[in-house]
Amino acid sequence: MRKVLLLALATAALPGCTTVKPWERDVLARDEMQLDANALDTALDDHIYFSKEGTSGGRGFGGGGCGCN
Amino acid sequence: MGSPCEVLVDSPHEQPAQAVASAVAACAWRIEEKFSRYRGDSVVSRINRSGGEAVEVDEETAKLLDFADHAWRISDGKFDITSGVLRRAWKFDGGTRVPAAEEVQALLPLVGWSRANWHRPLLTLQPGMEIDFGGIGKEYAVDLALAAAADITDAPVLVNFGGDLAATGPQRDRRAWRVGVEGISGASIPRTLELTGGALATSGDTYRFITESGTRRPHILDPRSGEPVRGAPRSITVAAANCVEAGLWCTLAMLEGAGAEAFLEREGVRHWIQRK
Amino acid sequence: MANDKRIGGALAAAACGLLGAAAPVRSPAAEPASKATDDSWDVDTAFLYYGESDGRVQDASLNAIAVRDFGDEHKLSLDLGIDTLTGASPSGAIAADRPQTFTSPSGRGTYTAKAGEVPLDDSFHDTRFALNAAWSQPFARLYSFNAGLGVSSEYDYQHIGANLGLTRDFNQRNTTLALALAYGQDQVKPVGGLPVPFSAMGDVVGEDSSPDNRSGKTDDKNVLDVLLGVTQVLGRHTLLRLNYSYSDSSGYLTDPYKVLSVVDPVSGEPLARTPPPGAQGPGGVYLFEHRPDSRKKQSVYGELRQDFAGKVLSLGYRYSTDDWEVDSHTLEGRFRFPVGESSYLEPHLRYYTQTAADFYRYSLADGASMPEFASADARLADLDAYTVGVKYARQTTAGNEWSARLELYHQTSKAPANTLIGEQPGNVHMPDFDAVILQFGYHFSL
Repeated sequence: MRKVLLLALATAALPGCTTVKPWERDVLARDEMQLDANALDTALDDHIYFSKEGTSGGRGFGGGGCGCN
Repeated sequence: MGSPCEVLVDSPHEQPAQAVASAVAACAWRIEEKFSRYRGDSVVSRINRSGGEAVEVDEETAKLLDFADHAWRISDGKFDITSGVLRRAWKFDGGTRVPAAEEVQALLPLVGWSRANWHRPLLTLQPGMEIDFGGIGKEYAVDLALAAAADITDAPVLVNFGGDLAATGPQRDRRAWRVGVEGISGASIPRTLELTGGALATSGDTYRFITESGTRRPHILDPRSGEPVRGAPRSITVAAANCVEAGLWCTLAMLEGAGAEAFLEREGVRHWIQRK
Repeated sequence: MANDKRIGGALAAAACGLLGAAAPVRSPAAEPASKATDDSWDVDTAFLYYGESDGRVQDASLNAIAVRDFGDEHKLSLDLGIDTLTGASPSGAIAADRPQTFTSPSGRGTYTAKAGEVPLDDSFHDTRFALNAAWSQPFARLYSFNAGLGVSSEYDYQHIGANLGLTRDFNQRNTTLALALAYGQDQVKPVGGLPVPFSAMGDVVGEDSSPDNRSGKTDDKNVLDVLLGVTQVLGRHTLLRLNYSYSDSSGYLTDPYKVLSVVDPVSGEPLARTPPPGAQGPGGVYLFEHRPDSRKKQSVYGELRQDFAGKVLSLGYRYSTDDWEVDSHTLEGRFRFPVGESSYLEPHLRYYTQTAADFYRYSLADGASMPEFASADARLADLDAYTVGVKYARQTTAGNEWSARLELYHQTSKAPANTLIGEQPGNVHMPDFDAVILQFGYHFSL
């Protein structure tokens, strides 16, 4: 029962998939809403975590390859 | 105006936004009613029905006619508000019908601002001639609407009538307004410009065109030949201090056809041109 | 028009005449939103310092990414990085009740660990160069493709890789599907040569010699990655990204510098060893590790970006599983909020947890049968890590941006109980550490 409730809450929390018109994309067009905002920071972090932890990647490609893992 | 119109007000309060929206809408409707050639009761329709008689116009119309006169002189006759009759031959609806040379020739005697007699406040057209303010009406409305908005509130305002737009200044947090310029279909993604003041006007064939032998030809006609301008870019966007000026630059650059870039470069005007 | 006649003044005057009182006095200011225009580079640079506690690894690096848009979203991106690494890393050997001596990877020297101290090999200092170039452009109305090449080089490791990707938009660009492939070829050339798996760390050799338990000088590894992603606009203020990735590594996946301690099966204490007379060498029995030559990984990643009236929250979660039995969960959040007119603050939290590889061993029991694969690398143990950080950035009047970022990282690892031998339970010393990350960045146009 708890599982069903949690699932229902989770799906209710997700906003419905509306279609946003091109002229309504003002907020989405901002730099900080881009998925690659902070690209350099996340690339540097990913490199650190790649060499200090057992799992890497998942976010995308680019860079990679070092003798540290 | 033939296109979607909007006004953006950057303010945390609803009150000035409502007032601004009403003022801007009122401005748009007023210009539409007064100068649309599609409305029987508009000033333009009255002039176009005058059949050779002199028409006395009000101060606002007089100023627009003065402006059209200046623009005609500055452009050596390429910008001409009497060129509208040519639309009887050219229908710009994406189709392929191209008028026969005789059709165009028959209309040419009715085209030419030099054939009109403008002596403030009286305008006399030859019988059969028509004027329309399609080339400047929308931009004029944008500038008036923006001034009306600025009278009501200090909040940053952007007025956008179908891609001709102007802003009082940047948004509250010093952030620019982001404006998308529609990319030409088949090629690129809409380009985004950041506007922190002044106006932008765009002219192009994205919506109004015919296709002749595989080439799209935009709806800007050269009144001296009666033909659409050849070698014109697909789209021109110009930034200027106000929308009327920006719109005129757009039109004049289009009329330059293949020389549009060189023309705007020479004049030092901020522009973006898409050719394919 | 006469070709040399300038009409700007007359035109502006005409417009002013028309607008009269409505004519604005402000000057126009419209710039392309992307600072990468077809005549300038958008450059992001950063200096990064990474430092672990207890005299362990320190890394300083200089990085730059430069992007140029040649018009119509035809973009070139160049990424350059240089970093220098110094300091000590755990070798995989465990702490003992007595001091321990080890032979360094080159075979020509020794290093020691005090009693009760987790042994750290400090013979590394290396400089690494990395260069990546990527091209992306649209083609046809709703498609775009991207391609990239990368190389990196350090004293004992070279990498070259390529990637290719395709995206397609749907639903008035509310949905974007992405498919990408990457292939990397690495070559490892460890100091001292490739150790024979499970061979014992040998005594110090002379200046002109190499250690003799080596199977060769270099070996290769290649990695194939496939990524499927969907980006979905959920509303005017919300964006969601979901990725599925598959990764297949094969070749030399072992760490040539890491060892396992051989311990007494009853007490769990590392065996003691005396080097032959006149020789210097390890004071215990340490065997070089051996990992499988293949690793297949799958992961799902989701990221949500939500705008709250100018403040942006981004939440990410990744689940990863592989055939080494290393399963991990990563949860990460950033919240950016503006400060004053031209700055922002962005706190950051990250939590990471993983389960140990099935061949992870804390140590090896003397006399027991050897497993097929074994590694005592704590990075393959049960692991938990936390990051807390904050970034501050400020825009200059010229539109450039300065930034500073401080992150604190805390990692703890655990050896699964079934890898402990004899009386080790209760006496386990894992090489946990804290690290500080300090970054200064400058973003500008060239």
